[in-house]
Amino acid sequence: MKIIICVKQVPEIMDITINPETGTLMREGVDSILNPFCEYAVEMGLDLKRRYSDIETVAISMGPLQAKSALMRCLEMGIGRAILLADMKFAGSDTWATAFTLAETIRTMENDFDLILVGKQAIDGDTAQVGPELSEILNIPQIMYAVGIDLIDNNKKVRVKKEIEAGNEIVEVKLPALISLSKGPMIGSVSSFQEILDARKKELRVVRASELTIDENELGLKGSFTQVVKIFPPQVKKTGMVIDGSEPQGAAKKLIEFLKQRKVV
Amino acid sequence: MLSWSSGKIMHEITSEAVPSVDFKGIRCINNYSEICQDYSSYLCDESKLAHQGAKYLFFPTNEDELSAIFKEMNEKNVTVTLSGARTGLVGGAVPYGGAIVSLERFNKVLGLRYDTQSKEWLVRAQCGVTIRDLNNWAMKKTFPRLSESGSAETKAFLEKYKETDTTYFYPPDPTEMGAALGGTVATNASGARTYRYGATRNWVRWIRVMLASGEVLEIPRGKYFATPAGEFTIINSTGNETIVKIPKYVMPHTKNAAGIFSAPNMDLIDLFIGSEGIFGAITEIEVALQKWSNPISIIQFLPSDDKAIDFVITLRKEKSIRPELIEFYSSHALDLLRKKQTEDPKVVGMPPIPDYAKSAVFFDLQFDPEKKDNDYAKLKKIVNRCGSTLEMSWAGYEQRDLERFKNFRHVLPETVNTIIAERKKNIPELYKLGTDLAVPDYALEEIWGFYTSILERAGLEWVGFGHIGNNHIHINIIPRSLKEMKKGLLIYQKFAKKAVDLGGTISAEHGVGKIKKEFFSIMFSKKELKEMRAVKNALDPVCMLNPGNVLEIEEK
Amino acid sequence: MLTINFEKCTGCKICEKVCPFGAIVVIDAIAQVQDNCTLCGACVNSCPVDALSIERKPVPKEELDTFSGIFIWGECEERDKGTTPKKVVRELLAQGRKLADSLDQALTVVVLGDDKMQGLEALITYGADRVMRCQHKLLGRFTTDSFTNVIAVIISIEKPSIFLFGATPHGRELAPRVAARLHCGLTADCTGLEINEKGELVQTRPAFGGNIMASIVSPYTRPQMATVRPNVFSFEDPDSSRKGEIVNFNVVLSPAAIKTKVVAIERLRDEKEVSIEDAGIIVSAGRGCQKKENLKLIQELADTLGGVTAGSRAIVELDWIPHTKQVGQSGLTVGPQLYMAVGISGAIQHLVGMNSAKTIIAINKDPDAPIFKVADLGIVGNAMEILPVLIRELKRVK
Repeated sequence: MKIIICVKQVPEIMDITINPETGTLMREGVDSILNPFCEYAVEMGLDLKRRYSDIETVAISMGPLQAKSALMRCLEMGIGRAILLADMKFAGSDTWATAFTLAETIRTMENDFDLILVGKQAIDGDTAQVGPELSEILNIPQIMYAVGIDLIDNNKKVRVKKEIEAGNEIVEVKLPALISLSKGPMIGSVSSFQEILDARKKELRVVRASELTIDENELGLKGSFTQVVKIFPPQVKKTGMVIDGSEPQGAAKKLIEFLKQRKVV
Repeated sequence: MLSWSSGKIMHEITSEAVPSVDFKGIRCINNYSEICQDYSSYLCDESKLAHQGAKYLFFPTNEDELSAIFKEMNEKNVTVTLSGARTGLVGGAVPYGGAIVSLERFNKVLGLRYDTQSKEWLVRAQCGVTIRDLNNWAMKKTFPRLSESGSAETKAFLEKYKETDTTYFYPPDPTEMGAALGGTVATNASGARTYRYGATRNWVRWIRVMLASGEVLEIPRGKYFATPAGEFTIINSTGNETIVKIPKYVMPHTKNAAGIFSAPNMDLIDLFIGSEGIFGAITEIEVALQKWSNPISIIQFLPSDDKAIDFVITLRKEKSIRPELIEFYSSHALDLLRKKQTEDPKVVGMPPIPDYAKSAVFFDLQFDPEKKDNDYAKLKKIVNRCGSTLEMSWAGYEQRDLERFKNFRHVLPETVNTIIAERKKNIPELYKLGTDLAVPDYALEEIWGFYTSILERAGLEWVGFGHIGNNHIHINIIPRSLKEMKKGLLIYQKFAKKAVDLGGTISAEHGVGKIKKEFFSIMFSKKELKEMRAVKNALDPVCMLNPGNVLEIEEK
Repeated sequence: MLTINFEKCTGCKICEKVCPFGAIVVIDAIAQVQDNCTLCGACVNSCPVDALSIERKPVPKEELDTFSGIFIWGECEERDKGTTPKKVVRELLAQGRKLADSLDQALTVVVLGDDKMQGLEALITYGADRVMRCQHKLLGRFTTDSFTNVIAVIISIEKPSIFLFGATPHGRELAPRVAARLHCGLTADCTGLEINEKGELVQTRPAFGGNIMASIVSPYTRPQMATVRPNVFSFEDPDSSRKGEIVNFNVVLSPAAIKTKVVAIERLRDEKEVSIEDAGIIVSAGRGCQKKENLKLIQELADTLGGVTAGSRAIVELDWIPHTKQVGQSGLTVGPQLYMAVGISGAIQHLVGMNSAKTIIAINKDPDAPIFKVADLGIVGNAMEILPVLIRELKRVK
């Protein structure tokens, strides 16, 4: 059985700051990491590999050459091999162009897949769109907000626990399908030193635009349907009052006064 | 150490007078009840040692104010306890009456420069800057304030620094990075990376220290040395000379934070480093930075504590492998953490510790993630010879992995503290027993054998962990009753004596402060203690500074 | 143009069953497309051998203006033994009304469901010109497959210039599927919608965890699609004098189109319980509450104030509360009158989920916690000591 995991490298959002004058992101000294939700998808893929027999895993990412380190992490965690789509022609892709390029890659190179796993959203774009768009282009069903997966019916179907607004649902679907993960294990896994060394011997293939049969006009910025026209910093809310709470009685009284003023109490 | 300043070696130094300032203008809380009510945190430090009250709490903002305070307290015969971040573990900042002087407002970075002779980047800062901030600024290459209000020369250096390809860091890395720079210099603090980079002493290039007289000595490293007879002369601004005779004992060949530094022809700067504030208040410090080596953190699991000791000894001997640090979790330590993982997995932050892990050695190596062919054959051999494999390890090299592994290294002592706090609820007099002993390299196996045989016979609950690379393993006994605690204290006496017999020290990193004085006398004879007191009497004749630290308070 | 790969086609007739218009039929074991095909793409999606494809070109400029109408998906939720439109639909109607007036186009709400749909008339009082009622028994429960099919069909026929969805969990999995099927630009989780001088929809949204705002347009594709963050836009009281029409849309759906099967449901939120998205008062807990047992205090405070409890991602991951109560970037967005953050540090991923609350109170031990930057009143102290006193005092005042 073949499982494809689509991943993205993102900046470590916790470290990002905005230049207050230009309104642009200051990426200096900010680490690039494997997107946490993508890491959940990788953990799930590896979990399935451990629980069921004969499963091949492939990680695919679209990004600059630097994104190799995110794929290397996937290999260190135990993924079998990786593909990086890196080409200047992919630059400026919106979610549609990304999904389109990924779909074409999967169709040309890994068409015998059974399951695609993705993370719910990338912590830089926050759109959560590439997963559903990819499954639509590949004509496969999607299950979003998954937190647990079992293979059933001789690995021909999946039974998925997914989060819905009022609780959880258990859903079944025939493979091939795409599943998007919104949660991972409470404690992320750690690789051994041997696995880190072995990962460097695994296949990490860089694919250029010329290897895909897509018209140039469907790639990157040219192939995107949406365009960013402006970036600006969010409105900073005016800071309110901060009081010392080391004396609970006094603090509680002040709080209730405040709530009364605001007509909440 | 290289000699920085051009010119001849000096044996005399003159202290500078500091301009006088109106004493009444200095921020002061001048009654004990107010200090107790609103500033109670200034009465304690991390040791939780009981204080003995304080009459005044001062907040000087510069050397002028500090000098005025010293002069006034000196005149009024009031003792002064210096207070920084109060993260010390031996009661160094706990007042025994008199005045508390908080140096928290000395919190500015003053300069950055590149020394072409020593080929080092040097940062100058006031004593109240925390080493966490100092390190973060150095690594991120942004020093707040310097870019705005630094001199033109500093700004030029700052630009150059930003353009360097390498990352630089400040090597001394005690667990508590919230410590004040001045405090770490006063205690000669060390951490895990001391294995490779040495303690704070190795990194201090220049200090300004204010003596009890209120006058300041400015001491660059490499300028002022003891005479062959072992003396320094300090001349004050009015020409009065004081001769300081350095003690004649030999310091142990280990990482050491116990006792006044002494060596033949020693550098004057080293007299103040590690002196725990009894000779003067260090106000400004210049430290050197080191290139960051992009490490990988590895936790190697081994089948027994004995095999772990074996592993460390063999690893140290292998010249081609140069670990940044070598740390240790004993078998009992791992069991304690396994238990913690079942209760609160997120605190430990790692996957379940494997069953085959009976002992653990942590080490950091330089690692290039881009390199495809990595040759770790020698390491593999050593690991295999000690009954383990590289598969039986945890490793990570991304920034967040390094932090995660560092957190795991610190979670054991924190867990022990939590257990003690719980037990204290039923037995209030209970406290954790911790050793800070280190021995020379040759004695590692012997001291470990000594520790374990006595502890196993005594049937106490204990864990071993820490800087095994420096033969500095902390033994924490976690007593379940007062009886066990008494038993433990006797055992510690035995341990301390053995360590000293083997040529080691009773305090490798925490210092002596007020808590370790009884062990201190195991290490130094009465004669040697007298020699230390002679230095104290020369530099602080009225014994104003930090009463109770290192030396007993003498009746006047 | 719908193209059929004759070599791949097996004549299985699934496309025939799925097509809402009878526009594709299998003759002599090969599928053939008829003139009335609207390019909705339902058949392409359901073909098991990938024999069907639609080549979509960007809409030529001249044709862009032929798309007209502001459409909103009227997402429903279970309420009172039926399904009614969610609060977010009223928010979309309020904003949609402004867009419609500014473009001089009509505002339509598309509601999908089975015979238990109710409350549709009210949508007109909230600003709709038209409500399209799409009733079918297979629409009784939300599935991406069926809802995508129906909405794609409606768009193919009606050709709206703008189509809006609430950025709810369902909305965020449905909208991209529709957008990909019809090759349209889609912007996620918008907090601002405006028309520019060119008549284009400018969609503004947060990115990088809320650290930055981006304004986006879809110049070449129609409809311009967006999912809109709930609890950001406000709406007025209903205007019962407003006129509008409810039309029934004939839904053709085959069970063959629905690929996923729900085999079990686990309710974690009581039916009577107000969802945190709709709550007026929220008391929210973070890791600073130290242990799960302490959440009893949080519940008690919420009960005393007449509100509901919620929490940060950190405590959901610790299993202290269910995900239905998670506030933040990867949880839900709330917009209550009062949000009390207890023991929450205020990482930006949490702030984006609650900073549109009218009044924010924060209690935290750490004076440098970022939550104090957005709080109207912040208390630096031990929440576990302050809460019991606060609850006691509140009970006295009541």
